[in-house]
Amino acid sequence: MLNFDWANGISTDTAKGIIIGLFFVIGVAVLFLPKKYIYAGVEEPHWYHNLKLWAITALVIIACTYLYF
Amino acid sequence: MLMGIDYFIIIAYMIGMMGLGYYFKKFITSSDDYFIAGKSLPFWAIAMSLIVSDIGAVDFVGTAGQAYRYGIVVANFDWLGSVPGMIIAAFIFIPFYWRSGIYTIPEYLGRRYNQWAQLIASITWILFYTFGLGVTFWASGVMLNTLMGWPVWLSIVITGIVVGFYTVSGGLSAVVMTDVVQMIIMFIGGGAMVFLGMNHVGGWEGLVDKVGAMGDQFSNHFELVLPSDTDTPYPWTGILFGLTFVMANAYWIGNQSIVQRCLAAKSEWHAKASLLLGAVLKMFIPVLIIFPGLIAVVTNPGLENGDQAVPMLIRNFIPPGLLGLLFAAFFAALMSTIDSTLNSTATLWTNDIYRKYIKKDVSDKHYLKTGKVTTIVILVLAMMTSPITDTFPGIYVAIQTLLSFFQGPIFAVILLGMLWKRTTQWGGLFGLTGGIILSLLLYLFKESIFTIKDPFLYVSWWSFVGALIITYFI
Repeated sequence: MLNFDWANGISTDTAKGIIIGLFFVIGVAVLFLPKKYIYAGVEEPHWYHNLKLWAITALVIIACTYLYF
Repeated sequence: MLMGIDYFIIIAYMIGMMGLGYYFKKFITSSDDYFIAGKSLPFWAIAMSLIVSDIGAVDFVGTAGQAYRYGIVVANFDWLGSVPGMIIAAFIFIPFYWRSGIYTIPEYLGRRYNQWAQLIASITWILFYTFGLGVTFWASGVMLNTLMGWPVWLSIVITGIVVGFYTVSGGLSAVVMTDVVQMIIMFIGGGAMVFLGMNHVGGWEGLVDKVGAMGDQFSNHFELVLPSDTDTPYPWTGILFGLTFVMANAYWIGNQSIVQRCLAAKSEWHAKASLLLGAVLKMFIPVLIIFPGLIAVVTNPGLENGDQAVPMLIRNFIPPGLLGLLFAAFFAALMSTIDSTLNSTATLWTNDIYRKYIKKDVSDKHYLKTGKVTTIVILVLAMMTSPITDTFPGIYVAIQTLLSFFQGPIFAVILLGMLWKRTTQWGGLFGLTGGIILSLLLYLFKESIFTIKDPFLYVSWWSFVGALIITYFI
């Protein structure tokens, strides 16, 4: 158990799918964050203050990287 | 061999850092200014500082060496092992810390659990930071000695004087703003080395083809995900459970030098944005520290020690002028690590120990002075004790390993304390100490318990699980 022997039967393609699934789950969770929380601390909000865009950008870059490799 | 132009660039860099740090002296009038920059820092400066502090001078050589041996899988530490953790920290934990107005992570543990949890966490961090600084000084000095031929003591003394000067003068503001310049220098110097190396091997496609043609030993060099029964230290299970779920979160959520920068943000939005910009910048770090190792597989096959990869690239491809810039980049990586650790250790001592147990309720000026004096004392102590490293070979790795023992337990205690109201004060204390003891036991008996080489990722996962269970049940 301590060596994760149960995972020996899982292919690396499936493992990659799990990792990309994790990025997807985090992305969905970010999209559900309330607007007020995202803009907390901003006096005059503009589109570029929307931190959801920032997080999704980072997630798209990393997901593409894991798809490529 | 360094030429006159190279020395000029290195000296200009050192003087520039001291000048920039000294400029921020005029903004330091209180302990708040010194430790958390008076909560005035913009997101872009914090983001760049977070990224550059995470890379030490030794990483330039050591990580490239790992990439030479194991391939691009090492990039997981900057990608999967950072980006999700930074996003989670940005949206859940950092806003909580920022609003609570704390200075240190142990201070949070003290408020949530009890003073013992705060004391144990503070003393542990102070001891390891101070001793770790000495080891970092020596390891970097030895590396620069190999690359430049400078005596080890010269690199240590020069770095100590420059870093000490600007850290004491300008506090966290100076640390962060010099880090910004250091990151730019690091990207230009390291980027130039990669550009020249890639050009030599025929670009990305040439690199992949040539490495692929070198035999079975290199067949996984462009695989980010390795099977769970791989004989390398990086099976996907270890990367996902140990690195992504525990070590990455512990680092971005529970590491004092990281959190302290975010606490210095001018608003909650800037604190969150700093980590998100950092996550994007993090994606480019492997280009600087991993690609040199992959390039060296083609240009210098058959090296017995992967750590020779970067010195070989420097010897083969870097012209005078650029060499000075590259060494300035090495110094930048070293200084950004040293300055962050120094400022964080001074903050831990002044706020968690001195203000709480030694001298309560004195003027703020007194705590400001204490912070500055502590910075100097720790720096001198680290420089004086650094030669001990030479007596104990392998101590650099040992210190890094010991530090990793705390990651899982501290993250477990922070996580439960924040998300589960029924966590008790003694649960937190025993979870922390029990988790650290479990890490030690797992590491001591690693050969009879684990099947992979150097199972630090598994140790980190199971110590986290152990600490979580202890904290839950007590």
